[in-house]
Amino acid sequence: MGYEPLVQQNPLRALNMGREHNQLGLIMARAGLGKTALLVQIALDAILRGKRVIHVSIGESIDKTKKWYDDILSTILQGHSVTRPHELIDMVARHRMIMTFKVAAFTRSRLEERLNDLVLQDIFRPDCLIVDGFDFDQTDREALEDIKNLMESMDMQAWFSAICHRSDDRVSPAGVPAPCHEVDDLFDVIILLKPEHDATIQLDIIRNFGEQVTDGKGLRLDPTTMMVKEM
Amino acid sequence: MKKDLTKVRNIGISAHIDSGKTTLTERILFYTQRIHAIHEVRGKDGVGATMDSMDLEKERGITIQSAATYCTWKDCDINIIDTPGHVDFTIEVERALRVLDGAVLILCSVGGVQSQSITVNRQMTRYKVPRVAFINKCDRTGANPYRVTQQLRDKLDLNAVMLQFPIGLENDLQGMIDLVSMKAIYFDGDQGIQIRQAEIPPELQDAAEAKREELLDAVSMFSDELMEAMLEEGEIPEALIHDAIRRGTLSLDLTPVLIGSAYKNKGVQLLLDAVNAYLPCPTDIENTALELDQNENEVVVSNDPADPLVALAFKLEDGRYGQLTYIRTYQGMIQKGDTIINSRTGKKAKVGRLVRMHANEMEEIEEAGSGDIVALFGIDCTSGDTFCSPGLNWSMSSMHVPEPVISLAINPVDNKAQINMSKALNRFTKEDPTFKTYVDHETNETIISGMGELHLEVYIERMKREYKAEVAVGAPQVAYRETITQRAEFDYTHKKQTGGSGQYGRVAGFIEPLVEEGEYEFVDQIVGGVIPREYIPSCDKGFKKSLEKGTLTGAPITGIRVTINDGSFHAVDSSDIAFQVAAMSAFRQGYAKAAPVIMEPIMKVAVEGPSEFQGAVMGSLNQRRGVIIGTFEEGNYTVVEAEMPLAEMFGYSTTLRSLTQGKAEFTMEFATYKQVPKGVSEELIKTFAAQKKDA
Repeated sequence: MGYEPLVQQNPLRALNMGREHNQLGLIMARAGLGKTALLVQIALDAILRGKRVIHVSIGESIDKTKKWYDDILSTILQGHSVTRPHELIDMVARHRMIMTFKVAAFTRSRLEERLNDLVLQDIFRPDCLIVDGFDFDQTDREALEDIKNLMESMDMQAWFSAICHRSDDRVSPAGVPAPCHEVDDLFDVIILLKPEHDATIQLDIIRNFGEQVTDGKGLRLDPTTMMVKEM
Repeated sequence: MKKDLTKVRNIGISAHIDSGKTTLTERILFYTQRIHAIHEVRGKDGVGATMDSMDLEKERGITIQSAATYCTWKDCDINIIDTPGHVDFTIEVERALRVLDGAVLILCSVGGVQSQSITVNRQMTRYKVPRVAFINKCDRTGANPYRVTQQLRDKLDLNAVMLQFPIGLENDLQGMIDLVSMKAIYFDGDQGIQIRQAEIPPELQDAAEAKREELLDAVSMFSDELMEAMLEEGEIPEALIHDAIRRGTLSLDLTPVLIGSAYKNKGVQLLLDAVNAYLPCPTDIENTALELDQNENEVVVSNDPADPLVALAFKLEDGRYGQLTYIRTYQGMIQKGDTIINSRTGKKAKVGRLVRMHANEMEEIEEAGSGDIVALFGIDCTSGDTFCSPGLNWSMSSMHVPEPVISLAINPVDNKAQINMSKALNRFTKEDPTFKTYVDHETNETIISGMGELHLEVYIERMKREYKAEVAVGAPQVAYRETITQRAEFDYTHKKQTGGSGQYGRVAGFIEPLVEEGEYEFVDQIVGGVIPREYIPSCDKGFKKSLEKGTLTGAPITGIRVTINDGSFHAVDSSDIAFQVAAMSAFRQGYAKAAPVIMEPIMKVAVEGPSEFQGAVMGSLNQRRGVIIGTFEEGNYTVVEAEMPLAEMFGYSTTLRSLTQGKAEFTMEFATYKQVPKGVSEELIKTFAAQKKDA
C-alpha cells in the first residue's frame, strides 16, 4: 500500500504489534492521561497495516471519536511526507468503523449481533476491536471471558482501556492495578500509563506476550501531541 | 428614542411537524394582545390538523408565516422570527439562525424528540443559539414530559432541566408548579388569561421538592452566589436562581424545560416570562461581520447605536407595495432618508419607508436601533445582503456560496403555469442564493438546481401552492465536477492563415491540481514579453472558458492551477481572440495528459430508527457505495452515520421505509466532493459520449 515507512517508523513496533494472534490488549491509566490517544494510535497502526478496525466507544459521541482519529492522523501526516494524503484519509475512513453505545447498551450479545450484521452482509470484516470506556468496575470475570471467546471465534484482536483510581491501591501480583487486578491474566499485553516529572507520560509495559520488554522501555506520550515517542 | 437593548428579544420558534407551533404562536400573539381572538387549528369541521393549519396560515398569512412578528410581553419587545421549516442545510437556514438570538424548541409531550428536532437542534448548536424547551400537548393521552426531558438529554445532548412540575397530566392537566417560586399556578378565566397562584397541593409537595432539588443542583453550577446560598440552608432568593438559569442558558450549558398545553391555554404566559428572563438580548450575543476590504477578516459588531450601521437583509416578501425587505440591525441606527450601501453590489440606496411588522398590521417608524428587526420598502436586494453606512464595507455573511449539487428539469404544464413559474423562479433565486435556475439550450428545458432533493422539492411545492404553477418534473441529476490528479505540460500554437488577417498565438506552461480548496488559479510566469501584457488576460479568459465544460462528462472543472511560462506572438496576426483560442486548445492538450477524474457530491447522512433494523440499514447504505462512519446506540434506538454519494440517494426514503416498516427516518446534508470510483466513472463517460453522439 505504500505506507510501510509509516508503519516501520512507528515507535509502537517495539510492542510486537505485528503478530496477529487473537490477542487481548489492555491500556490502563488514571483519567486524562491519554488512553484514547494511545488506543487510536494502535488502531491507526493496524489500519496502516491493512487491517480493519471497529472502534467501540462507550459513552462518547461518534463525532468526538472521529475527531480523535482526524487529529492524530493529521499529526502523523505533518510528521511524514505522504504523496497523496487524501487517499490515506480515505483509506482510514474505509478501514474504520465507529460504534458508540450508551453505557448501559453495551453487552456481549449486542456486540456479537452487531459484528455478525457486518460480517454476514459483507459490509465490514473487522480484524481488530478497540473498546474505549469499558466499565471494568461493573464487569465480572465471566463477561470478559465471554468477550475473549467471541474474539477468538471471530479471529479478532481486541484492545481495552481501563481507568484506575488513585485511591484504590489493590494490585495484582503482576503489578496490574485495580479494577483489572483480578482479570489481568486474560490479557496478552498490558500497558500502564504513568505521568513523569517532565510532564511526559511513560508507557510502562507490564506484559508483552510473556516476553521481556527491553526496547519498549523508552516509550513516552508527548504531552503536546499525545503521540508515542521513543526517548 | 434610545431603546434599552436588554429589553429586546429576537427569538425563533422551532418545532417538529404537528407539535403545535401554529397553536402556540397563535396563543403568544393573543396573550400579548396582538390579536384579539383565538382561531383554533382544529376547527369544528374536523378536517385534519395539518391541512387546517396550512389554511389558517394562509388565511392569516402575515401573522404566522410572516418573517418577523413583533409583540410585547411585560416590558420586553419580542420579535418572533420564522425559522425555516425544511431541514435541508441551506444558506437560508444559516441566515435565519444568525438573525435569532435565542429560540424556543417546542416538543410534543407524546411524540418527544423526533428527527426534525434533532436536525434543528444540531443547527442551533452549530450557530450557538441558546434555547428554552417547551413541552407542549401535556393534555394529550400518553403525555410524559419526564420522558421527553430525558430524551432532550440523551438524544439532543442538552443539559435539560425542568423548571416546572405538572399538576395532573393528560385529561387532568390543571396547571403547574413553578419550581423556582414553589407556587402552584393555574390558568383561570376565559382562555386562561387570569393566572392564579396558590399553595402547592399537599399530595404533590414531596415530588415537587425533589424536582426542585434537581433543578437547584443543576443550576447551582452557574452561580457561586447560589451555591453559597444553598450551603447556608436558608431561604434561597428567587432572583439568584433566575440569574443562574439565565447564565447557564446563555452559555448553552443548560436548557430550561417548561411544560404546558397551548391548546388548553396552559403555560404559555410562563413560557413568555421565561423568554424574557432567560433568553439573550442582542448585546448578550457576540455577532461577527466580515471586513470585505480586509480579506474577509472577522470583526465583532458593536451593537452600539452610535456606530455606523450594519444590517442584514434576511428575508424578502412580496407585498402589495412591492418588495418588503426584512432587516436586522447589528449596530448603528437606520433612519428614514438615510443613505445605505449594499456591500455586495456596492450600490447606494435611500431608505424610503421603514416599518415594524406587527401581527396583522405594520407600523411606520422613523428609525430603528441596533438589534432591532424591521422591514424596508422599495430596496432592491437579495436575501443575505448586508447594508452599511457609507464608508463601511462589512458583510454579515460570507460571499462564498456553495455550488448546487443537484439539478432537475421542470416543464410548465400550460401557458399560465409558464408565466407563474418564471415569476416564482425569479423570486426564489433572489431569496436563496443556493437555488439556481437556467435554461438548457440543448434541450430547451428549464433547469433548477440546489442543495438536495428535498431542497428542490420544497420549491416545486411552493411554486404550486403560492404561484399556482403546475410543473412536470424530470429526474434529478447530480452535479458532477471534473478535476485533474497530476501535473501536465502543454505547448500549443494556434495558427490560421486563410486570407485576410490571420490568427497567431502560442501558449506553453503546465496545469496542476490545487492542493488547497479552490476552483481555479491562474499564474503568469511570462518573462521577457514572449506573450505581450495585453494578451495575458486573453489567455486567462481562454482557460476559464475551458473550465466550463470538462471533456469527460461535460461537467465543470474545478481545483486546478494553470501556469503559463512561455509562448510567442506575431506582430500582426496575434489578437485577443487568437490567444483565447490558443489557451483553450492548450488547456485541452494538457487536460488529457493530467489524468482527469470525475468528482461527485458526497452527503453526510444520518439514519435514525429502532435498533432491530440497524443491520438492514447498514446493508442498504453499504449497497449504495456508502462509507459508514459509525453507529450510535442507546436502548432500542440507533443512529447510523454515513457518507453517501448523492447519486445513490435518490429514492432512498422509499427503500428505507420498506426496510424498516416506516420506523426509520433519515436526514442528509452536503459534505464534500469526492472522486467517483472507476467503474461508475467509466459508465458516466460512456453515457456522456452517447449523448454527444445523439445531439
